[in-house]
Amino acid sequence: MIGGLFIYNHKGEVLISRVYRDDIGRNAVDAFRVNVIHARQQVRSPVTNIARTSFFHIKRSNIWLAAVTKQNVNAAMVFEFLHKMTDVMAAYFGKVTEENIKNNFVLIYEILDEILDFGYPQNTDTGILKTFITQQGVKSQSKEETSQITSQVTGQIGWRREGIKYRRNELFLDVLESVNLLMSPQGQVLSAHVAGRIVMKSYLSGMPECKFGINDKVLMESKGGKSGQDDTRGGGYVKNTSGLYSKPSSSTKTSIAIDDCQFHQCVKLSKFETEHSISFIPPDGEFELMRYRTTKDISLPFRTIPLVREVGRQKMEVKVVVKSNFKPSLLAQKVEVRIPTPLNTSGVQVICMKGKAKYKASENAIVWKIKRMGGMKECQLSAEIELLNTNDKRKWTRPPISMNFEVPFAPSGFKVRYLKVFEPKLNYSDHDVIKWVRYIGRSGLYETRC
Amino acid sequence: MPTVKGDGMRGLAVFISDIRNCKSKEAEIKRINKELANIRSKFKGDKTLDGYQKKKYVCKLLFIFLLGHDIDFGHMEAVNLLSSNRYTEKQIGYLFISVLIGANNDLMKLVIQAIRNDLAGRNPIHITLALQCVANIGSREMAEGLSVDIPKLLVSGDTIDSVKQSAALTLLRLLRSSPDSIPMGEWMSRIIHLLNDQHMGVVTAAASLIENLVKKNPEEYKGCVSLAVSRLSRIVTSSYTDLQDYTYYFVPAPWLSVKLLRLLQNYPPPEDPAVKTRLSECLETILNKAQEPPKSKKVQHSNAKNAVLFEAINLIIHMDSDPNLLVRACNQLGQFLQHRETNLRYLALESMCLLATSEFSHEAVKKHQETVITALKTERDVSVRQRAVDLLYAMCDRTNAEEIVGEMLEYLESADYSIREEMVLKVAILAEKYAVDYTWYVDVILNLIRIAGDYVSEEVWYRVIQIVINRDDVQGYAAKTVFEALQAPACHENMVKVGGYILGEFGNLIAGDPRSGSAVQFQLLHSKYHLCSPATRGLLLSAYIKFINLFPEIKHIIQDVLRSDNNMRNADVELQQRSIEYLQLSSITTADVLATVLEEMPPFPERESSILAKLKKKKPSSVPEGSEQKETTASKIPAVQMSNNVDIAPPTSINLMSQGESSTDDFVDQGSPQGGSASVDLLGLGSPTQPTAPSVGSGGLLDMFDTLTSHSSAPATNGIDLGGLSGGAEEAFRKFICKNNGVLFENDLLQIGVKSEYREDLGRLWVFYGNKTTFQLNAFLVDVSTPGNLSETGLSIQQKPVGGEVEAGAQVKQQFNMACVQEFAEAPVMTIQFLYSGAQQKISLKLPVVLNKYITPAEMDANTFFTRWKALNSPSQECQQIIKATSPIDHEQVKAKLIGFSVSVLEKVDPNAENFVSAGILYTRNQQVGILLRLEPNKQAQMYRLTVRASRDKVAKILCDLMQTQL
Repeated sequence: MIGGLFIYNHKGEVLISRVYRDDIGRNAVDAFRVNVIHARQQVRSPVTNIARTSFFHIKRSNIWLAAVTKQNVNAAMVFEFLHKMTDVMAAYFGKVTEENIKNNFVLIYEILDEILDFGYPQNTDTGILKTFITQQGVKSQSKEETSQITSQVTGQIGWRREGIKYRRNELFLDVLESVNLLMSPQGQVLSAHVAGRIVMKSYLSGMPECKFGINDKVLMESKGGKSGQDDTRGGGYVKNTSGLYSKPSSSTKTSIAIDDCQFHQCVKLSKFETEHSISFIPPDGEFELMRYRTTKDISLPFRTIPLVREVGRQKMEVKVVVKSNFKPSLLAQKVEVRIPTPLNTSGVQVICMKGKAKYKASENAIVWKIKRMGGMKECQLSAEIELLNTNDKRKWTRPPISMNFEVPFAPSGFKVRYLKVFEPKLNYSDHDVIKWVRYIGRSGLYETRC
Repeated sequence: MPTVKGDGMRGLAVFISDIRNCKSKEAEIKRINKELANIRSKFKGDKTLDGYQKKKYVCKLLFIFLLGHDIDFGHMEAVNLLSSNRYTEKQIGYLFISVLIGANNDLMKLVIQAIRNDLAGRNPIHITLALQCVANIGSREMAEGLSVDIPKLLVSGDTIDSVKQSAALTLLRLLRSSPDSIPMGEWMSRIIHLLNDQHMGVVTAAASLIENLVKKNPEEYKGCVSLAVSRLSRIVTSSYTDLQDYTYYFVPAPWLSVKLLRLLQNYPPPEDPAVKTRLSECLETILNKAQEPPKSKKVQHSNAKNAVLFEAINLIIHMDSDPNLLVRACNQLGQFLQHRETNLRYLALESMCLLATSEFSHEAVKKHQETVITALKTERDVSVRQRAVDLLYAMCDRTNAEEIVGEMLEYLESADYSIREEMVLKVAILAEKYAVDYTWYVDVILNLIRIAGDYVSEEVWYRVIQIVINRDDVQGYAAKTVFEALQAPACHENMVKVGGYILGEFGNLIAGDPRSGSAVQFQLLHSKYHLCSPATRGLLLSAYIKFINLFPEIKHIIQDVLRSDNNMRNADVELQQRSIEYLQLSSITTADVLATVLEEMPPFPERESSILAKLKKKKPSSVPEGSEQKETTASKIPAVQMSNNVDIAPPTSINLMSQGESSTDDFVDQGSPQGGSASVDLLGLGSPTQPTAPSVGSGGLLDMFDTLTSHSSAPATNGIDLGGLSGGAEEAFRKFICKNNGVLFENDLLQIGVKSEYREDLGRLWVFYGNKTTFQLNAFLVDVSTPGNLSETGLSIQQKPVGGEVEAGAQVKQQFNMACVQEFAEAPVMTIQFLYSGAQQKISLKLPVVLNKYITPAEMDANTFFTRWKALNSPSQECQQIIKATSPIDHEQVKAKLIGFSVSVLEKVDPNAENFVSAGILYTRNQQVGILLRLEPNKQAQMYRLTVRASRDKVAKILCDLMQTQL
């Protein structure tokens, strides 16, 4: 189990130090600083073993979070916890920065006391935590309230309290995907996968039971010819007021194969196992309902075609063509292509038809930015790179060209088929709930070799 | 931001402050990348940069490099800067070059040319910059390229002093790094005249250079002696006001004085009387000055003064010719012995140690004996005490030995652990060297074992036994003393060893006294038996068997002890074997035989004390060589006499200190009639092939005593056959026919292991040489030769070189690549030569490379086999042998052997299941040879019939011979 948790700033100064177990000494703080933060070579492994003590660290901008243990713990659990920890902190005071941590250190210690008990992770749900760890100073709670909190935290549904009421019952579903790709210069896909998550924001009264339908192959097949279509068609509930949100598309033309997925603790896994249905009582507010990964039939939003020509030892010509590969009606945003340049570049001339391109010396790359780009379009950039003679005999390794973008669809083909809400005790039905669904596909590591 | 003025580089300052303000490593890298790109574009740009800009960018590159990033351009610009005429630009250029350009850079030629230009120029500042750069890099190429220019600067008349100074130091640097690339020229004769230079700085720099040159070639520079003396006398006699800049806290030119004094230590005392007198005067003046009241209370003043003084004393000791000076030096040091300053006391003790070795001052040193002993006892710092011990050791002679040894023994009880072992050795040596009365010697050593038993090394107690055995006048006394010492309730194991040995040999001398009767002696020894290590127990068992000879009346008690389960069935093989053998020996043989076998040990041949050798090895510098030689000649005389009286060595003896692995072989020898004089060598060190006759009587114990230095003993102990193959190797070799890994050879010095792998016609063999001793094996040489004419045809061997040394306890690996060109019959022979503590050792071994290693097993069914079998029917292709089985025929074992022989074992081919049928392919470089093999065991007759057929002539015969050795 986790023996202690430290937070450092970029200089290695300790901001937060919380030790949970006796086997972790004071010197552990320094050991990590000396061996990882101030290490001569950059430490690339997130797990470091120093004198039989394991340090797990993540970095958020300039802040280092390190969990330390002497035992053989589940590393995935520790990292999950660290990420949760940053989420919790972000939910309390916004961005995790040195300034914010210093300003909120009392709060952080309070949170740390709550979410880790003798090194065992506890409830890290921000919604719940916020009910009893507040930033508004100590509010003397009445006896009933305290007992309610206790019963709720220790009860069966620890993530939702009773008696929530909204005038407008509303819910938002975000399907966020990140596409990862490695492509050979000839356009052959070497590896591609999509990591997706479904974030739900719920503003529902009472203790509603939700049922969630997606176009996963396994779930669809098990439903068989049952009235799955009916369900979706019945969902003509929402006016499409926002451009970003659209009502659940009625056509679930094909199903997709999900490699693996994981759910929020509110999802009843037993039902998922037996009936292949996702049903849950959602926490109030925002939470991550599901995470999944797919590797098959990914529609790649962009294709990069590089052409690199080395003209003698002093000059190099690069031509890059980017093709968008989705419905013309859709619009990709924040498109950025990064073309690495050799280390001995002494000058660059770039010409591009669309967007802006610039040689960034500090990053050794040409960065080409296109604000908006429609589907089925093609853009081209050509650059002339001047090189300086060096006495370094090593050849340039040609790192891959990488891309960043944001598209309004799910590249994995993931579709939300329905989301039904049942609240037997209160007098609102599934039809009264306003539902919004949004798909966003982002680039993860989207690279093409050149 | 730091203030920048005039020539300062604003851009650089901005860049540095940017870097310092970076919040994170990433930000720093970004900033640096940006700057590098900027500099690249500037260097690449079409317009030429002016000197200032070049300097600025080179500076930035230098800064980036010093931050830890790689710089792979800009070298050319830096070299360009060298040709600038401005000081700052040149300076930066040289700085960049000395930091960034490695010795084997392509630009080095250009750099050297630029340096040469600067050296040839008139501007002294440029010359010094160039010299500084040379001194910083100091590569071989530079030494070669500038070997003419720099000495020229040094001896030329018109170079200014500061340049001369730099040139001298630069030349010194080059001489140190590449001594042989500086050609000696006519400048050499002129260089010593630099000692006469007006400028003290030049003289100081030159003194260092000259000393370095003198060390290599003293004859060439003999002239410097008189120059140095006159220079020294001028400094010494000058008042501190004379040498304005070179006076350090009222001491005139202390560094130069020390250097000159050191320089003079490279030569014998000057022959020219005038020079000699002058030098003596100088030294006297220095000694006189030490007596003057200090001119300053500052510590620097006394430090400088004492530095000169100590160096002068070193010179006095080195010359060792003027008794007056020596005595004065000694008295001066005597004063320091009581000085407040610990460092001074340390130095005084150290120098006195040297003085004690001089015949003139030895007596003078002895005067301070009391002070030194107090120092030994009261000094706080252990290193000073160590020096005191050294000094006591050095000043000891026949007159004061008893006292000094007594004091040291007394101190030993409370001595620091770090110096105990050395002290024990020293006490042991002094006691032996100056012993007038050997009873005293025995007392001292026994005391030594009592007080510091843990630190008494084997050599020390070996030595006491050696002496007791060689001198029959102390034997009785020794027996009595050890008997008394053993009566202490707790005694050290070493004491038990000495006691066991001496009582076993000479117990009869004290048996007359009823208090130390035979039974009492035995009981006393046996009371310690169970507390000892197996090695000591073995020694005690030998002592018991000797008791049986000395005191027949307690024979039955001892036999009971030997018979006890504790001994007869001891887990330790050695003890078990001894018990059984001794019991048998005592019960079977007659008293006469017993008496002959268990005769008293013959005296040991005299040799250099092994303890001394050990001390020398431990601290090569601490034993003053001079005293050593003097004293050994003195002590040789009684030593020779010692061995005279027991000269008639009995032909047989049991060596008590047998510690070997197996004594059975030797007992077999004893049983067999070997000319009546059966030699019992319980030493067990010899290998089975060792000739028993000559070495046992004298070589046995002696080897144990003196493995450090002995030359004669090496062949005896190690079983090394200088002519043919080494003992036991043939047998080991045979094992390897069916095996790829294992130990090929092992003796007391060396273990040779072999690992090998084969693929088709290629083989790779690793030989591991393990040094089993505690010393380095020097000049380690391995040579492989192939016997006869097969070297051209059979086997091609490539040998990776092996390093010249094998460290103590270390293992060295050597790889051989061997390709099989053609079939071959004889294995290659490997000859290993090395120096083990000065003695040449040679081991010849057969490398386990045999033809069958290149066979790859082949699978085939009965049909194919017999078809092929019949095809190979010409007589030259077949070889058949009838072999008598050496061990009972075991199916599985034979099968394992065949597989080890790397042929397949084909099942269900031969109708008789007992018979073996095998096939394989022999890969050689030229061709592949099919091998078919049949082995028909006959269990009744304990015979095998082996038939080998091969598609190539001769192969069958070779393989048949090889296989035969395995059955």
